[in-house]
Amino acid sequence: MEAKDLFDIKMVFSNIPDILRFLPVTMELAVGAMIFSLVFGLLIALIRMKRIRVLSQIAVLFISVIRGTPILVQLYVTYYGIPMFLKYLNIKNGTAYNVNNVPGIIYAFVALAINESAFNAEIIRASLQSVDKGQIEAAHSLGMTYFQVLRRIILPEAIEVALPSLGNSFIGLIKGTSLAFTCAVVEMTAQGRIIAGRNFRYFEVYCSLAIIYWVITIIIERIIKLLEKKMAIPEQIVETGKEGDVA
Amino acid sequence: MIGVKNLKKRFGDNVVLDGVDLTIQQGEVIAIIGPSGTGKSTLLRCIDRLERPEEGELQIGDLQVDLSRASRKDMINIRKRTAMVFQNWNLFHKKTALENVMEGLIVVKKLSKEQARQIAEEQLKNVGLYEWRNHYPRHLSGGQQQRVAIARALAMEPDLLLLDEPTSALDPELVGEVLETILKVAQEGYTMLLVSHEMSFVRKVATRVIFMENGHIIEDGTPGEIFNHPKSDRVRDFVRKIEMFNAPEYVI
Repeated sequence: MEAKDLFDIKMVFSNIPDILRFLPVTMELAVGAMIFSLVFGLLIALIRMKRIRVLSQIAVLFISVIRGTPILVQLYVTYYGIPMFLKYLNIKNGTAYNVNNVPGIIYAFVALAINESAFNAEIIRASLQSVDKGQIEAAHSLGMTYFQVLRRIILPEAIEVALPSLGNSFIGLIKGTSLAFTCAVVEMTAQGRIIAGRNFRYFEVYCSLAIIYWVITIIIERIIKLLEKKMAIPEQIVETGKEGDVA
Repeated sequence: MIGVKNLKKRFGDNVVLDGVDLTIQQGEVIAIIGPSGTGKSTLLRCIDRLERPEEGELQIGDLQVDLSRASRKDMINIRKRTAMVFQNWNLFHKKTALENVMEGLIVVKKLSKEQARQIAEEQLKNVGLYEWRNHYPRHLSGGQQQRVAIARALAMEPDLLLLDEPTSALDPELVGEVLETILKVAQEGYTMLLVSHEMSFVRKVATRVIFMENGHIIEDGTPGEIFNHPKSDRVRDFVRKIEMFNAPEYVI
């Protein structure tokens, strides 16, 4: 064996198409969990801000537990916990849910979505609270209901504040999907492991994976920057008014 | 007719409004004056139900509401009939001047975008900011922002316009344009309740002046009565002190 056979750089790139076949699985998991976490996170944030009794305390506990435990542990807990829960329902109610019929991606989705919700709830709460109270009062004084104020005044401004943090959290989530193999889901990382299992070129495969995740992250960062720019108030209005004369 | 009866509001142990009664006739421009922290702004905020008083009734035309127990629906009904101009103008940052004025028309009055735009453009012309309609608040001066806020309030056709120290947060050189706008609005016949420390302006714009201290209305009369022939020593003292510092350049 010669030194040049140690590392097969061509294989790093030739692996990529084979791994990318499972990009849709990775993205489905990440985008699905993200959408769920935004809705659920907003709900938790509102419960905490409005200090709704009991629910608010549950929300605090939920966030504390989820943020205080590793995602890997959470994945295992859902993977083993949900089947146990279904079996319990079967015994208790005489139903016949087939535990083996639940696809692994469901467990991974549940774990990732819940984990992401806890983190995003805090990001969303901070951004909602950053909106200037004066505007909210002004909107109320026009006669708007709380939900009209939330939708038309608070959210458009809060989203701009939250976007960079939510973007980061989404990037983290994409990389988090690489743990879905623990629930027997074949996404990109799992596929990489399968390829490596066939040819024992583990190092090359993980290099391929690193490149893929890195490129995806760069693309997403770009998209977020673009969105941020689009949401920001333009520097100057050109169509009308007295340019150069603005205060 | 607009009436406030027995309005009481406290913040903790601090009694801010101690049973205020006030009757406002249509077309009256009432200025509330008095030292800081005597509940002038709180009175306005309770009327708009931005603060919840412990006691007090509000009547605006045929609408009668117990302010301490107002339901959500009551609150919205009150706010539909009143409009507030804030000290810090409080424009919506993410909306242009025009969109700021259109917002209430679309969301609360349920007008079509076209109708709302027409009214909003009319109101911005009225305050002399039509050319600035597509500018965002942060590209406008404080005085311009406050004039947009006035246009936003007037677009709602309120029965009562509440102005909470509308020029206190402005640079001195911008005060004039806002006072001019308010004067114009007053002359158009709007019913107004104004908290202000601009005494020479109050003299000019108000049809009635109320002096408040420690949550009570101490004196209530025409500007002539309050400024020239105050009944109580306290009001005489206040007017004398404040007029001493009222620089002539603010006078319009």
